[in-house]
Amino acid sequence: MNVVLAVKQYISKMIEDSGPGMKVLLMDKETTGIVSMVYTQSEILQKEVYLFERIDSANREVMKHLKAICFLRPTKENVDYLIQELRRPKYSIYFIYFSNVISKSDVKSLAEADEQEVVAEVQEFYGDYIAVNPHLFSLNILGCCQGRNWDPAQLSRTTQGLTALLLSLKKCPMIRYQLSSEAAKRLAECVKQVITKEYELFEFRRTEVPPLLLILDRCDDAITPLLNQWTYQAMVHELLGINNNRIDLSRVPGISKDLREVVLSAENDEFYANNMYLNFAEIGSNIKNLMEDFQKKKPKEQQKLESIADMKAFVENYPQFKKMSGTVSKHVTVVGELSRLVGERNLLEVSEVEQELACQNDHSSALQNVKRLLQNPKVTECDAARLVMLYALHYERHSSNSLPGLMMDLRNKGVSEKYRKLVSAVVEYGGKRVRGSDLFSPKDAVAITKQFLKGLKGIENVYTQHQPFLHETLDHLIKGKLKENLYPYLGPSTLRDRPQDIIVFVIGGATYEEALTVYNLNRTTPGVRIVLGGTTVHNTKR
Amino acid sequence: MASLDDPGEVREGFLCPLCLKDLQSFYQLQTHYEEEHSGEDHDVKGQIKSLVQKAKKAKNRLLKREGDDRAESGAQGYESFSYGGVDPYMWEPQELGAVRSHLSDFKKHRAARIDHYVVEVNKLIIRLEKLTAFDRTNAESAKIRAIEKSVVPWVNDQDVPFCPDCGNKFSIRNRRHHCRLCGSIMCKKCMELISLPLANKLTSASKDSLSSHTSPSQSPNSVHGSRRGSISSVSSVSSVLDEKDDDRIRCCTHCKGTLLKREQQIDEKEHIPDIVKLYEKLQLCMEKVDQKAPEYIRMAASLNAGETTYRLEHANDLRVEVQKVYELIDALSKKILTLGLNQDPPPHPNTLRLQRMIRYSATLFVQEKLLGLMSLPTQEQFEELKKRKEEMERKKMLEKQASLESQRRLEERRSDLPSRANGEVVYLRRGSAPLRKAEGWLPLSGGQGQSEDLDPLLQQIHNITSFIKQAKAAGRTDEVRTLQENLRQLQDEYDQQQTEKAIELSRKQAEEEDLQREQLQMLCEREWEREREQFQAASLHTRTRSLDFREIRPFQLEPSTEPCTHLAHALDLGSSPVQSSATPKTPSPSSALEPVRVWSGPPALGQEFLPPSTMSQQREVPSLNPFEEEDSASPTAEGSTSPRAAEPSCGPPSRILKEYNPFEEEEEEVAVAGNPFTNSNSPAPNPFSEEDERPVPGNPFEEATCTNPFEVDSDSGPEGEEPIEEELLLQQIDNIKAYIFDAKQCGRLDEVEVLTENLRELKRTLAKQKGGSDWPLGRELTSQDKWPPQNLERDDYIENETFQEEGALKRIGTCSHPQPRLKAPTAQDYKFQATLRHPRWLPGGISCESAREVETARRSCGGRSAGGGVCCSGHSSPLASRLDQRSHAHERPLPDSPHPAVPGPGGRGVQGHGEGHDGELQHAREAGRRRQEICVFQHTSNPIQKPLGADHDV
Repeated sequence: MNVVLAVKQYISKMIEDSGPGMKVLLMDKETTGIVSMVYTQSEILQKEVYLFERIDSANREVMKHLKAICFLRPTKENVDYLIQELRRPKYSIYFIYFSNVISKSDVKSLAEADEQEVVAEVQEFYGDYIAVNPHLFSLNILGCCQGRNWDPAQLSRTTQGLTALLLSLKKCPMIRYQLSSEAAKRLAECVKQVITKEYELFEFRRTEVPPLLLILDRCDDAITPLLNQWTYQAMVHELLGINNNRIDLSRVPGISKDLREVVLSAENDEFYANNMYLNFAEIGSNIKNLMEDFQKKKPKEQQKLESIADMKAFVENYPQFKKMSGTVSKHVTVVGELSRLVGERNLLEVSEVEQELACQNDHSSALQNVKRLLQNPKVTECDAARLVMLYALHYERHSSNSLPGLMMDLRNKGVSEKYRKLVSAVVEYGGKRVRGSDLFSPKDAVAITKQFLKGLKGIENVYTQHQPFLHETLDHLIKGKLKENLYPYLGPSTLRDRPQDIIVFVIGGATYEEALTVYNLNRTTPGVRIVLGGTTVHNTKR
Repeated sequence: MASLDDPGEVREGFLCPLCLKDLQSFYQLQTHYEEEHSGEDHDVKGQIKSLVQKAKKAKNRLLKREGDDRAESGAQGYESFSYGGVDPYMWEPQELGAVRSHLSDFKKHRAARIDHYVVEVNKLIIRLEKLTAFDRTNAESAKIRAIEKSVVPWVNDQDVPFCPDCGNKFSIRNRRHHCRLCGSIMCKKCMELISLPLANKLTSASKDSLSSHTSPSQSPNSVHGSRRGSISSVSSVSSVLDEKDDDRIRCCTHCKGTLLKREQQIDEKEHIPDIVKLYEKLQLCMEKVDQKAPEYIRMAASLNAGETTYRLEHANDLRVEVQKVYELIDALSKKILTLGLNQDPPPHPNTLRLQRMIRYSATLFVQEKLLGLMSLPTQEQFEELKKRKEEMERKKMLEKQASLESQRRLEERRSDLPSRANGEVVYLRRGSAPLRKAEGWLPLSGGQGQSEDLDPLLQQIHNITSFIKQAKAAGRTDEVRTLQENLRQLQDEYDQQQTEKAIELSRKQAEEEDLQREQLQMLCEREWEREREQFQAASLHTRTRSLDFREIRPFQLEPSTEPCTHLAHALDLGSSPVQSSATPKTPSPSSALEPVRVWSGPPALGQEFLPPSTMSQQREVPSLNPFEEEDSASPTAEGSTSPRAAEPSCGPPSRILKEYNPFEEEEEEVAVAGNPFTNSNSPAPNPFSEEDERPVPGNPFEEATCTNPFEVDSDSGPEGEEPIEEELLLQQIDNIKAYIFDAKQCGRLDEVEVLTENLRELKRTLAKQKGGSDWPLGRELTSQDKWPPQNLERDDYIENETFQEEGALKRIGTCSHPQPRLKAPTAQDYKFQATLRHPRWLPGGISCESAREVETARRSCGGRSAGGGVCCSGHSSPLASRLDQRSHAHERPLPDSPHPAVPGPGGRGVQGHGEGHDGELQHAREAGRRRQEICVFQHTSNPIQKPLGADHDV
């Protein structure tokens, strides 16, 4: 159940199957992203893949000495492009891989186009999703729903992505969905339909406990994406934005040219891999260590290389040094930018209030804090709107709700119309009316005692009090306590044992905070493997 | 397939193999076969069937196994993926996700389509062949028409009132034309023509492709087989074509289009772009690295641990080899990078991108793997390591023998009382010499270590020496004494043994060398080994003497035999010039002069000059060197002369040697300040210098090799170290260059700067090293002939050597213009010697080079054992420095650098061919002079050690 590995294996297999020789990888827009998430350029270069082309780029040259590996989504356009390509082949031989199920008629039309017998392979390799972390995948779909209902195109794409994931992990799951969400139900049905239709594909070795697919809707927990995050990966995403492991740093003041866009990938960046789930303070000290380490290894540039031994040492250490310097400069830049933003936007204070809004039930102090922050000129529009949104979500039906007053404050602060509209939109999207379960108030006695105890102990970290709702859901699921009236099974059969392999899919997008939760759950509960997915990975801006 | 029986007749279509009936399609053929022939010919059918079935079964089995294997290996292979630091928290190894293949479906559809297409094409080609098969020029047009009509039935004129292509009505003016390939009708405008060359190309290509193309059809059905089979039978009729302008075949656009497509395919199949060729080479190199690198790393690890499982030399060789491959990769990828850059229509950006990527990946590869290559310990370090390791073992042994020793000591003390006194005196007088000696000989112990197994006696000696050392260190003089006594006895015995052995060995070796020049490397190894032994024997011998003067008698005798064997050995070891230098003094100089004469370009001139000069020089020499005089005059007389008498002549120049050679130390006071040879060498009027164009028969380096084994050996320590250092430097320069390239690519200017600075630094160091090596050449002219070559066997050796030389010369002589080769290789050789010291690096066997190669290889080998760098000794400083400069000027000091490749045209006059040849010219001149010196003086300067040895303190 490692999604990165699953995709990587597919790609490796493609390259391997095509044998030795110079190769070109022919992709479409989406598969380019899929491949780039799991393979770095230098890594794939070592496998003799020297060119990367888009199937839709017109400016490709005839290179008969290259082998072409086509990794494409089975869309109509791609098939058309491919037919044209095969009619006038530009490469010597074609290995065609579709990232999903392709129709027989498409295969036929392709076959008929291949008059020169250049196609050596036609296969389906189900790598049809973006593997972000080993346990986190995304489909990079923004705005998957229109109102409460699916955009039909996006529904089919989501279904494809989800089935591809199941196939790549070789899981044929039971499906549960969130009853309160119509979208979740639709998706569940669609997935089920595909499984039934392609039953021979889903014939895997049965495990004792069948895997479980849980489909949730974001509207059930609209809070999590609104909070400021303090773990490295989540923070970077929140403040800078991660898109297919790429971070755009071009807005950072005084950034050097080669750091405009950096890649943060746990696959080949050890520091990142080790620190992506640590919080900001820890990152600070780790980066300091990294720097010190680096300083030690850094050859003294001023010092003349006096002896041959010096030179030898220098030369031998140079690549490591260079690699390290790349890592160091990257992370130092990123962390520096993060801390700059934190200071500039007064995020520590904002976050404290956010957490208070999310986790505590003291209306008057929350209101007071929100009002205070709204007066603070350092707080940005976005953060201000976020605070109000949180307030609105939490105290939606509070007796002394002063949302109109806060909205006035927002307007006075000069927050643009766009953000102000968002507040009501969020309430509509994730308000109490929609929510199937209560986000804020503890539901049972156990939870109440827990919270009470927590209150006694004092909160360890004011900035990370909030636990995403997903945690609770999963916790219940693992213990077999998740209520069937809220999360019914699709189909007659139900799971009797505790689930082992769980795939959670959040319509409307997951967050890195939830990814962290899943990561921790995976670590702390042996025997349980959870993969989290979403139509996208959220930060507040999206 | 009927055509198999009757090659004369060619029939097309789906023919039944039994009744030769033409059936219109494959399916019809199949049904026909089943219906008509099911009853009859069970044999044939059964055979065919069983064959087919067998084939199918085998294929299935194969496929299945392949599939299973793949699945298995796949599953294993993928497990090893790294998780990149992500905690894989207990997730089991993951197998490849689900896949589904549509290939068979795809193929089915394609086959249907392709069948049609291929049948079409083949039909056309068969017809084309028929149309071109007869002699068109001589046949009447009516006959031609008849033949053409027989090939394909023509469509009836009346059936086609309009041109099917353009729709024009046919009339008297707009006449109908028949396609000769399909029989259809079109108008003149729509008519196409196929020229005979094109037709020929198409038909012959299909012939070729069929012979090589084994079942091009991926589809298993036999249609393809039979279909193509019929073509092949058709094409077996070779068509003799008469090219005539009007000989063209009319056909319709459709047929022409199909045929042109086919032509394109053929072209593409044959065309291999340059990049592919280069790339294949690149891949080969990478594979080689993948094979060799782990082996080297194993070796280096073992050596760095001080183990003796592998030999340092081997490891060095391997390292050099691997490095060479890296260089090749670098060069190849660079070539790929620049491919087509200068072409007029600049290549497509994608081509450039591809080239850049290949280069980039090659750079990555080199960086990654090359840096994995750990460096070897230098010779000295290695010895240190080894010593440290052996120390332990030795200590154990010491303890073991301690009791034994003490017993022996008691006994021997009584008997050896007088000798002890004497020995002690010597010892005291020697002072620190032994210590220095120990240092200087450090590398030797490595050689000893290896040869230990060969001789138990030697081993014993070795042990005792180490005991002495330890005892000395501990300050136990009495123990030292007894040990020394023991040692002496042992050594005496060993000396005798060795002398015999050496004589035998060298004789054998001389024979072998003639026979097995091609197995040079192996031989070199052995020689080296032997040399070691010899030297050891000698060194021990000298020590014996230094330790005990009473033994003057046996000693006097021994030097007379031993040194000679050494000398002979030195000669063997690649100093064939020595013998040529010796020959003039032998009673029969003619044999030695023979080769020289052969080579003196304009014989009229050269010969005239040669003898007198030789004579004069000869006269000169004896006067200068009493030793030589004795040598030539009365070989026997020398037996009685103390070797010390000879030493005055050689002592002074060999100041470096004194540490190593106890003989000279004693005689140092007697040293004559100036070295007559030095003076006589350079200013000597040199008739040979005029004969620059003359291909110096021997490698100019040869001249230098008439060395005293001692001298050579004593230097082997620093020698062994230097090349490594130098090599390291070069390697580092290369590395840094790669980084700079890399950094530039990344656009990191600051890094580039730092790197460039480093590079400059490195280069300076290297230059210093080399530069430092140049100047001392002159004053380092050393004594060669310390050892009176007065042995009885001497003549034999000389004869052997001469023979060899002659052989070499003859070999050179077989090449009509050997000169051009000469210059480049020398520079190259020099480079090899100086930096790489590896025989395998020699340029490939070009006939005129072979002799040189032999020599160089020998030398490099001898060089390794005997102090290396011999090669450069032949050059006087300017040349050496020039070579240095040049080699530095090259970006890559590789043999494939442009310089060695300069093919000098045959007649190379005194005037150089431009700048690049200057050095070579100089070289040749130098070589000429050298050569002469050798013929005349027996002692050329031996600055070998200099270029390499001089800088070891850098």
